[in-house]
Amino acid sequence: METMLTVKDLGKSFKDTQVLHNISFEVRKGEIMAILGPNGAGKSTTIRNIMGIMYPDTGSISFHGHDDIPRHRIGYLPEERGLYKNVKVMDILLYLAELKDYPLQKAKERALNYLKKFDLEGKENVSVEELSKGMGQKVQFIASIIHEPELLILDEPFSGLDPVSQELFKDEIRNLAEKGTAILLSSHQMNLVEEMADRLFMIHRGQKVIYGSMDDVKREYANFKCTIHGKNDHTDFEHLANVERVEQDGNTSILYLDKEVQPTSWLKGLPDGLDIQELRIDRITLHEIFIAIATGKNLMQERGEANA
Amino acid sequence: MRNTMKVAKWEIKRNLKNKTFLIGLFLTPAIIIGFMVLGTLFGDSEEEETAVTTIYIQDQLDIFPVIEETVSQSGLNWDLQMTEIEESEVQNAIENSENTAYLFIDERAIDEGIVPVYTSEEIDPFFTNQLQLLETPLQTIQMQQLDLSEEEIATLSRGVMFQEASNETDESSTETTTSGFNEGLMERIIPGAFAGFIMLSIVFTGMAIFQSASQEKKDKIAEIILSSLTPADLMQGKIVGYFVLGIIQAVVSIALVLPVLLWRIDIPIVDYLFVPELVILIAIAILGFLLFASIFVGIGATMTDMTTAGNFQGMVMMLPFLPFIFIGPVTSDPSGLMAQIGTYIPFTTPGVLLLRLSMLEEWPWIEIIIAVAILIVSVWIFMKLAGKIFKVGILMYGKNATPGEIWKWLRA
Repeated sequence: METMLTVKDLGKSFKDTQVLHNISFEVRKGEIMAILGPNGAGKSTTIRNIMGIMYPDTGSISFHGHDDIPRHRIGYLPEERGLYKNVKVMDILLYLAELKDYPLQKAKERALNYLKKFDLEGKENVSVEELSKGMGQKVQFIASIIHEPELLILDEPFSGLDPVSQELFKDEIRNLAEKGTAILLSSHQMNLVEEMADRLFMIHRGQKVIYGSMDDVKREYANFKCTIHGKNDHTDFEHLANVERVEQDGNTSILYLDKEVQPTSWLKGLPDGLDIQELRIDRITLHEIFIAIATGKNLMQERGEANA
Repeated sequence: MRNTMKVAKWEIKRNLKNKTFLIGLFLTPAIIIGFMVLGTLFGDSEEEETAVTTIYIQDQLDIFPVIEETVSQSGLNWDLQMTEIEESEVQNAIENSENTAYLFIDERAIDEGIVPVYTSEEIDPFFTNQLQLLETPLQTIQMQQLDLSEEEIATLSRGVMFQEASNETDESSTETTTSGFNEGLMERIIPGAFAGFIMLSIVFTGMAIFQSASQEKKDKIAEIILSSLTPADLMQGKIVGYFVLGIIQAVVSIALVLPVLLWRIDIPIVDYLFVPELVILIAIAILGFLLFASIFVGIGATMTDMTTAGNFQGMVMMLPFLPFIFIGPVTSDPSGLMAQIGTYIPFTTPGVLLLRLSMLEEWPWIEIIIAVAILIVSVWIFMKLAGKIFKVGILMYGKNATPGEIWKWLRA
């Protein structure tokens, strides 16, 4: 796939604290690439550097191999976003399209189409301040894609959306990717990212933690885990095969299993004396990996120790 | 530059579609007109309360009917009476009367252009001004009586003087008040006032720049906009846009106020207005606008709300009103030290300079050049500084910048 955006060795400091260390990744045509990380990890800073709203101290950003970023070919939905209050929806959409040098007539058609798609038909002459928050976000989203960008950067696109709108956004983002738009999105909502992203870049304290395709990451990190509700002692599990680590909280025990585990045979090997009110076996989710990283528990490290 | 124009166009369009702006646009001249009309309304009622001014005219030129007509046209509350009283007897006659005046219109009015006026102790405070009304008929008489030889024209151009005689002092030392419109003065004051008005309207509209910049932060749209253009484009666009809005405001105000003004005041304003000096005055006004606009746009980018403005921001907002400090000293002595100091402080230069140039007969060209140079340099410097503040400030959400932070941005 054609590489659209290349970020290389990006570094940035505010005052004396370095907020980004050697961040490198690529976004390819037609893929959805996710930047993940806890608050303050440096996601928005990375994005702002790409958009030329901030300038990196070190490293380079190139678009199709060129160092200057053609802003009118990029769509951007910032995390801190809003719209002018006392203007009409259509006016602001056309203004933002004009800033991107997009032909007005075409912009108008696209705006009307998208408004219809997002359940905002007939709202084009309504003042922005009369829109609900969700409607406002839809308009902002339309504004970011109205000029048919080649690269779409979405910073927390799902924050504050209800499930229905989330679904709508998700579909549209996928749609755009299928049509060849390169999409870079950041999010906290792991379940959504897990569903959508082709590749991901996880960042913590300004540093790369994980970078790769969703499948690789899952294969690498998302092992099985078994959750058992019932009165059991910590020692009951310690001698079980394939168990890397046990977490216990009251009557709930979570057994983290290693990569080689065969769920069926492993289940057969459970001792008879266990008190099982409920048993669940599933994979570690991206969400858990994320939380583990954010709270400083390094899964990889622990596993490394366990393997040793 | 193209992006600047886009922003400017947007700001203009946005405001022209905004009800608040439109109401303000027409309300400003309406208020001015309102005060002008109200003022005369109150003036009228006051006149009705005060007793009628009785004017005795000892008329030796048969001008009484003309005067009567002029007075009735002007609507002055005067009761005109013919009298045969001698000038020497006037003291006694006036002693115990109120709101009474004696005018002696005789050869002196024609030869010397002087009409002795004796007034009672209590008299309408505007009486002397009201008397100017009689200038025209008297001048007409002068012209009729003279065959307009060169010497006579000189006499004529001296205008008519109303010699006011107080009944308390000795008659021989009666004070003479010169009157008649000093044409030169009007020639300067009208363009000056015009330029001042333009400056005021664009500075007030310029304050909207401040609103607009902080609104940009409040609405959190800055980042969306800045993904398409540079902070400098955005800032310049706002300045240009609000400049045009200010001009629109000024034009609308003038279009509405001027006819009223022409109707109320009997001065050929338009003739005095379009003099070459107007260009310089307007240039000064525009420089003043640019200075304050750059300050406002910079400060606006440091805060989300006027209500949360700190002392520092508050002080900066007051800068355009600084020239008011100088109004007193400058009007009392347009070439004095205070006036010169005011001319050289960039924040007061436009205001003080406009005021001085409106009052001074001889323009101090060197001072003007120096002051304009200072103004241009400060506009340039403040634009640069505002650009630096704007760039960082506009993306700082949720909190206001402290003077310390602003200082750091400036040094960056």
